[in-house]
Order: sequence, then structure tokens, then C-alpha cells
Amino acid sequence: MEPQSKSSKPIPATALVFIGWLFLMTFLPFLIILGMSFLERTPLGTISFHFSFDNYLRSFQYIYIKVLFKTVWLAFMATVSCLLIGFPVAYHLARSRGWMKQLGLILLFIPFWTNFILRIYGLVALLGNHGLINQLLMQLRLIHSPLEILYTRTGVYVGLLYNYLPFLVVPIFSSLEKLDPSLREAAFDLGANRFQVFWKVVVPNIKEGVFIGSLFVFIPMLGEYVIPDLLGGAKEAFLGNVMVSQFFVMQDWPFGSAIAGILSLLLLFTLWLQTRWSRFGNLKDGGNHA
Amino acid sequence: MRRSNPWVATVFFIAIFLLYTPLFYLVLQTFLNNPQDLNSGFTLRWLLKLFHSPALWEPLMTSLEIGVLSASLAVTVGTLGALGLFEFTTLLPTALQSLIMLPILLPEVITGLSLLLFFLLLRVELGFATVVVAHASFSASFVYFIMLEQLKKLDPQMAEAAQDLGAKPHQIFWKVTLPNIVPGIMGGWLLAFTLSFDDFLISFFTSGAGLTTLPLKIYSLMRIGITPELNGLSFLMICISTFLVLLLVSKEQSRKWVLKG
Repeated sequence: MEPQSKSSKPIPATALVFIGWLFLMTFLPFLIILGMSFLERTPLGTISFHFSFDNYLRSFQYIYIKVLFKTVWLAFMATVSCLLIGFPVAYHLARSRGWMKQLGLILLFIPFWTNFILRIYGLVALLGNHGLINQLLMQLRLIHSPLEILYTRTGVYVGLLYNYLPFLVVPIFSSLEKLDPSLREAAFDLGANRFQVFWKVVVPNIKEGVFIGSLFVFIPMLGEYVIPDLLGGAKEAFLGNVMVSQFFVMQDWPFGSAIAGILSLLLLFTLWLQTRWSRFGNLKDGGNHA
Repeated sequence: MRRSNPWVATVFFIAIFLLYTPLFYLVLQTFLNNPQDLNSGFTLRWLLKLFHSPALWEPLMTSLEIGVLSASLAVTVGTLGALGLFEFTTLLPTALQSLIMLPILLPEVITGLSLLLFFLLLRVELGFATVVVAHASFSASFVYFIMLEQLKKLDPQMAEAAQDLGAKPHQIFWKVTLPNIVPGIMGGWLLAFTLSFDDFLISFFTSGAGLTTLPLKIYSLMRIGITPELNGLSFLMICISTFLVLLLVSKEQSRKWVLKG
């Protein structure tokens, strides 16, 4: 795998600037936090250079396992919801023509050029006890006391859905765009109905792109910090929130680092699943068409 | 046969409507006497007050400065990387590919905390410089991928022709390669600037006590509660971003940037 051996030219010095930068500014800090997770916090709050797995063993307590499952579950539910809403949105975009398609994509992304924190602020204003939703519902006399949405799990869920939806629409859209229209036409000519065309022609051809797109939404959701912090309040902490509070509230850096290690492992596992799944998909498809 | 199903179209328009609701509501609140009451009548007071709050203008300037510097740094490093590795992309060892993807895949909360630990270990004082460097650390990889795309479009015959006509390597770079990758450089710079200007979490960890960027300011105002000034500011920022998008859309290259946004 040595690049030098396959090509006559060595890797140029300009590339070394980039590689060195990545190594120094991303990989090394990441190694530091991983290294920190094997150290211990002394009762005085300082860090002792004593190698141990204690922090990882400690994280197997009920409260942390619960946070882990909640993070994975909420991220999963939000990804599935993004898929359910994102699919018709992408489908509509893929079926429109010319400037309508262009306009639709632009409309989808304008809100995402607004500052991330402001978008969250908009959601806080919308969902709060004196927010738009509660004001409207109370004026219509549908409810008498405000609905509790903000600072609950629903708030986090809405925040995830809102902030990740377009990023799942794009991969679904590009998978649909890549689909050869003559495949659908052929299926219709052979007498398939709309339902059959959708499930037997469209879905099998786009499922891999959609799956990979879903993971690229699911993975950042797992590492989310700001959305649970501002829309969920203290009760709805994700792994990222527990990690930060270990650093700044509990002053236990090694344990916080161990949570970072666990979060990284979780991401690595998800990525591994992705490569495995796509390989499996290729094999199966190859078998079917052979 | 290319007709869209009416149900599909309905979901599309409802989704778009819901995406805009929080932002339109912020704009509406800017003009309400009492932002928490829809029936309180309209006023321009909050918007005017915004222009007399130096507490908000200073973070805006800080964010712009950090954005410009970190984007320039990221574009330099990322472009150098793409120019150097372009010919090797299919041969790159997995370890190196993972290293390039790491800043994109790592959750921001881990990136931010690990950079904080890194700076503390090096005993670097947290502030303007650490935020600039931290932003460039994750945006360089994004620039790298944009530049690779741009370089793929470049016709290799142009460089060969220049060589046949006797151009030296540095002449080929400055006169042939560089002018042809300018769109990529601009796109990469803009993306890196947006990533920096938008970033909250990494600034949160690497800025120390003294420095306040605009997202940090918004965050601290949010913690206090709903403030009318914040609504004014939201209105202004929504206008700016809409204007920027429209500006970009008017150019040919825009579609890709919007997608990568």
C-alpha cells in the first residue's frame, strides 16, 4: 500500500503540510483525550499518571448506560422520522423540473444558512410556554394551560428533526436522480402498477444510498450536545452533555475523557456497520442479477 | 409520467413551511411590542435599540475577523493538501484517508474538548488565536474535498501542453493550474468562513473567558431568557443569510455550495 512504490513520484511536500496539520491539530488532541481516559483523578482534583481501566468500568453504571441507550434511541427515532418526512420531500424535488427543482433545493437550504444557534433560538421561541404554538392553541381555546414541549424529550426530538432533515433529503434526492428513468418506464411497460414500481424498482436501487445518507445523519446526532442542552434542559442529557459536565461541573477530566472514548467507539461501530452492510448489499445484488 | 403525486407535493410544502416557521416567528417577534404576545401591537423600537447596543456589535466583528482568518488558513492548508495528494487519491493508505475524514466525522463536542486539553497542555493562552486555529483545524478537510473535485475537472492536457511549450513547474502552477482552480478556492473559502461564522461549540471550548463570538453572545443571551435585542439581531442575521444565499444562487457555482452547506 506504499504510494511511493506504485508511483514513480513521492508524495509532494505540499501534501505534507496538510497531513502534518491534520496530525497535529486533530489526531494528536484526539490521542490526548483518549490517553487521558486511562488516567485517574486524585481526591484533590488533580490527575495522577496511573494507568487504569477504572473510568471505563465506572461507565458501566446504570445512570450512564441509561444515557447511552437514550442517546442511541432518540438519534435512531429522529433519523427514522427524518427518513419518513425526507423521502417525500426528496421525491418531489427529484420529480420536478428545471428551475422548480433548483428553487426547491434553495428553499430547503436557506434556513440552514442562518446561524445554528439562532435556529435553535427560533425553536425555543416557538415551543416555549409563551411560544407561538402555545399562544395559538390557547387563543383557539383548544388548551387551557400551556403544553410542555420545551425542556422535554419532545423538544430534543423536534430539534434533531428540524436540524437534520435537509441533510437526509440530499442523499435521498441524489440517489433518486441517479436512478435511470428507463427502468421505471420498462417496469410500467411490463405491466407493473405504481406500487410495484416503487417497491420493486425504486427502493432496491436507492436503498444503499439512503442507508449511507441516514448514517451520516445518525452519526452526528449521537454526538449532539447543543440541541439536548438548549431544548432538553438538564433531564434530557445525551452522552455529549454528560461528558461536558464531567469536565466542567464534576472536574473529573479522566472520566469525561472515557465518555469521549465510548462515544468514539460507538461511532466507529456505526461506521463499521455501514461498510459491512454495503458490502453485504453488493454481494446480494450481484447474486440476484447474475 | 413525471407528474408528482399530490400527497408527495403536500408533504413537501408542509415540510418547507415548517422549516421556515421558527425563523418567520423570530422576525415577527422583532416587531411586536411584547415579543411574547401576538396581540400586543407592532413597534420598531427593538430594531432601533439594536443599533445602539455595542454589546452586540463587538461580537459580530470578532466573528467576522475569526471567520476571515480561519477560512484563509484552512484554504491554504486544504488546497496544498489537495494539490499534493490529487495524483495519489486512489492509492492513499486507509490510515491517511481516515486521518483526512477524522475532523469531519468526529463529533464537535469531542473536537472542542480535545483541542481545549491540547491547548492547556501546551500552556497556550486561550483566546482569539486558539479559536482561529481550532476553526481551521476542522474546516481544512472540507476545503480539501472541494479542491479535489475542482482538480478533477481540470484538463491534464493543459499542464502537459504548457510543459511542451517549455514552461517550468512553477510557471505551470502559477499560470495554468492556479487560475483554473480559483472557483474551487473561492468555494472552499466561503464554506470555511460559513463553518467558522456558524460555529458555536468549538468556540465555546477554545475561546477562554475573554473572547465572545456572535454565536457565544447569542447563547449567553438565550440563557438569560428571551430578550428583544436578540430578536432584532435574529432579524438582521436572517436578512443577511437570505441575501447571501440569493447572491450565491445568482452565480453558476452556487448549487454545489448550497448542497454542502
